[in-house]
Amino acid sequence: MALNTDALIAVVAFAGALLFVFGLLYRGAAGSVARGELGSEGIRILRWALLGYLAIFFVLALTALLT
Amino acid sequence: MAQAPGAPKAEPSKLPPFTRKLLRWSFTIGIIPPVALVAALASKNVYYLDYVHVITGGTWTGFDLYMGLVMSQILRSLEIPARVEIAKRLTPTTFFIIPSLASTAITSGIYLAQDFGKFDLGSPWIMAAGVVVLILVAQGFGVFLPNGVRIFLELAKSKPNVELISKLTIRNVRLAASQAVFQVVIILIMAHLAIY
Repeated sequence: MALNTDALIAVVAFAGALLFVFGLLYRGAAGSVARGELGSEGIRILRWALLGYLAIFFVLALTALLT
Repeated sequence: MAQAPGAPKAEPSKLPPFTRKLLRWSFTIGIIPPVALVAALASKNVYYLDYVHVITGGTWTGFDLYMGLVMSQILRSLEIPARVEIAKRLTPTTFFIIPSLASTAITSGIYLAQDFGKFDLGSPWIMAAGVVVLILVAQGFGVFLPNGVRIFLELAKSKPNVELISKLTIRNVRLAASQAVFQVVIILIMAHLAIY
């Protein structure tokens, strides 16, 4: 099974940018929870959103093995 | 996440009940493009791969044109509470769909260029396409996505800042207009690559 490096680099770059942005947002949201401005549902939604994106990028990363 | 000692207890979330349903819908639609790309590559059919690239890229462009040319005018004409009501529905519905279309269009474009022997990083046309893609991705991950998440977090607060929600929504819609311009440019580059 051949690995398409160019495509894998593109997908990993997308996923890396996503994780970086989510990390920053998570930090801000955690601060809001600590200050009592945000309930736990806000953080839960953030985790589900991250999982959803990771699922999409995981499927895209699989394509690098199919060429 | 533990709450800091002495911090006021957060009131129950104000997230509307339809948010989760719309998010699930967005994910259900958003997972289709990458799965279609997997199927196209598994079938080793270039026609199918081309179809996936064109339909995801075209839908992405169409969405941005619609947001930039139509929704921006509609939102501008609405009062802030009405804008917030639209944001509550628009943000979860588009949350997974647009990034999925964008990522699939770009990834399938790389495969297609490789298949046609045009993925030459020294070519000015491929370089131009790469620059436009970088701008689109930077806007998507740097502005669209954080704004969408910030809208969610604001909606989940016990006292949402409606002005901020309205501002972020308008900013996303305006950005969609600039994305549409870059996509028109990239389609011009694609058309050149397809012919020459």
